[in-house]
Amino acid sequence: MSANVRERLLQATYDCVARWGLAKTTMEDAARAAGVSRATVYRYFPGGRDELISAVVGWEFARFFLRLYDEVHDAETLEEVMERGLVFAHNAILEHEVLQRILQTEPEILLPRITVEANETHKLVAAFLLPYLARHAEAEGTDLDEAADFLARMVLSYIGSPGRWDLNDPVQVARLVRAELLAGIR
Amino acid sequence: MGAAEATIELTPCEPPDQGRKVLHHLGAGDRSSTRVRIVDATLRCLARQGVAKTTLDDIARESAFSRATLYRTFPGGRDAIVEAVVDTEVARLFSSLAVVMGEATDLEDVLVAGMVEAARRLSAHRAVAYLVEHEPGLILPRLAFSQMDRILMAAGDFAAPFFARWLEPDQASRAAEWAVRIVLAYLADPAPRVDLARPEDTRHLVRTFVLPGILALRASAETQSPNPKPNKGAVQ
Repeated sequence: MSANVRERLLQATYDCVARWGLAKTTMEDAARAAGVSRATVYRYFPGGRDELISAVVGWEFARFFLRLYDEVHDAETLEEVMERGLVFAHNAILEHEVLQRILQTEPEILLPRITVEANETHKLVAAFLLPYLARHAEAEGTDLDEAADFLARMVLSYIGSPGRWDLNDPVQVARLVRAELLAGIR
Repeated sequence: MGAAEATIELTPCEPPDQGRKVLHHLGAGDRSSTRVRIVDATLRCLARQGVAKTTLDDIARESAFSRATLYRTFPGGRDAIVEAVVDTEVARLFSSLAVVMGEATDLEDVLVAGMVEAARRLSAHRAVAYLVEHEPGLILPRLAFSQMDRILMAAGDFAAPFFARWLEPDQASRAAEWAVRIVLAYLADPAPRVDLARPEDTRHLVRTFVLPGILALRASAETQSPNPKPNKGAVQ
């Protein structure tokens, strides 16, 4: 029940942010959009607007990684996990209309939050990769935790900023994965 | 006294001769020039109080030049001076990298030397540290997503020639960009066990992940193009 209210509040706040941006979304907007009282919003987010906005960013982050998980969890090989994950995540970022608009209009509000969040994110990605590494890593003496940490950092870097790699070209993606991501591990 | 301390800590390391030539060419090594004195004074202000609070008067006081001199040297005023600080610091970083990478004699050493030097300079940079901590909204938009792509491309273009002794141009650019990417990824989110400012940590990372990756880049380029250019691939 309370999880439902929280979820509803986060979805409603997300809709407000999509329409008006981060700076202009207030506790009142969130309450109205979710159909609850202002007091209820404060009960769930006692830290006020700042806490609510952080929670929404974290919520959308989590949704993104759930979709990423759906995309790659049945991959057979480490190469396939990497290829599918990179392409999906990079395109999801490019096609994320709300993210792209806020990066244009309010990067100074959003970026500190997703950078702070990102410190935990690479650990999540590393934890996700670890079992694949345990199953598929073949290089002699691979330290799995070290490899997972390295891979997680690299994956997050490439999906946000691929540099000169064209992640829409399957040949380049295959080459990137086999060279810069997995060559030391496989 | 505080200002004097800051001066010592912020003065970039004196580069060897080759680097001094590069610096001179860039106009950044001539400490006596008005331009460079203004830039260095501004750098001290930025490390102390950030961008938003640094005024033209602060810069005038710190550099001991009049406002009129500041405007004559930088007609664009404060913002133009701050831009000049960024350009100068990038030039100094690149020239110190050019020195250490130019002295390296094999591919592993080029990678290690460049990555250690970049990690050391960036992690010890007081103004950068102040901005990241106190003015993240100002600096992070210049370091994320498409802006980071631009940095990666520019840094990759800069570093590629140092790899050209061992790699074809396309591989050299990718390898150089990758090294830059690794340094920035570890700086942005420090790892408990890996400090790229420590040569032994960087060498371990280069041997474990980077060199095998570069060999694979080269191998995949050779399988892609049926007629690889002769000779250049001879790596010792």
